[in-house]
Amino acid sequence: MTDQTETPLFDRRMLEALVCPRSNATLRYDAEAQELISPTANLAYPIRNGIPVMLVDEARVLDD
Amino acid sequence: MTDQNTTHFGFETIPEDQKAGKVQGVFSSVASKYDVMNDAMSLGIHRIWKDAMMDWLAPRAGQRLLDVAGGTGDISFRFLNRAGSGHATVCDLTEPMLVAGRKRAEAAQMADSLDWVVGDAMALPFADSTFDVYTISFGIRNVTRPLEALKEAYRVLKPGGRLMVLEFSQIPTPALQWAYDRYSFNLIPLLGQVIANDRDSYQYLVESIRKFPDQNTFLGMLREAGFEQAKYRNLTMGIAALHSGWKI
Repeated sequence: MTDQTETPLFDRRMLEALVCPRSNATLRYDAEAQELISPTANLAYPIRNGIPVMLVDEARVLDD
Repeated sequence: MTDQNTTHFGFETIPEDQKAGKVQGVFSSVASKYDVMNDAMSLGIHRIWKDAMMDWLAPRAGQRLLDVAGGTGDISFRFLNRAGSGHATVCDLTEPMLVAGRKRAEAAQMADSLDWVVGDAMALPFADSTFDVYTISFGIRNVTRPLEALKEAYRVLKPGGRLMVLEFSQIPTPALQWAYDRYSFNLIPLLGQVIANDRDSYQYLVESIRKFPDQNTFLGMLREAGFEQAKYRNLTMGIAALHSGWKI
């Protein structure tokens, strides 16, 4: 068995409970970019070390 | 030009929009030594306060807890151990605190029962009526507008859900308050320097305690946020207090 210290990944089950703090809308998980997308608010929240950072100030504004 | 509201950061008066950043600075700094400092500052009494919180809360199996400003997970771990089963979501403004808490969960083999989220108590990233219980322990005095946090608590609690706040409060007796002031203003920042190499953060903590509303004022805020059966209990002569309310 390999002994690797890995950062825990984001748990998809959290998607059931998390919403966009600005729009209260459900989020879409982008595993590759490690972001949670809020289509309604046009924001992408970062996930760092598997922890979602649900702060509007830290979200990336999506350009259309 | 917008007219900016001000708030307190300890004894300092600052523009409202600066508070969260300053609070994050304090807690990022203290994160690694947080648990050790709590024991040293309160001579272990914080454990008794947290146990008292659990006694009044009486967690039941299978409940969903939202632990706001939950940092390293102290309350969540207690809650889950008492309830026997259930789930806790720990929400905090400070990422390093959550990372430290998650490590504890892994060490205790409880990782599956907890989620860790960076979030703002005044704008919670959760849908209405999601949780059975909402706790905030030694966190609400750091929130820029505590009434907003209480309103958010009300929103995310299910009907029949319960709020429990543990926070520093005011000692009704002036002589005792004076003695307590001497202790906290002299000893705590010094402990902060010695244990965590950070006097300023602990100076802030002591000042923030003084600025927080007293028991009855805070009770009024619970009612204003919509909570019913609002009550409080003093701990250690009022050095800390528990405030409880229900979303009927």
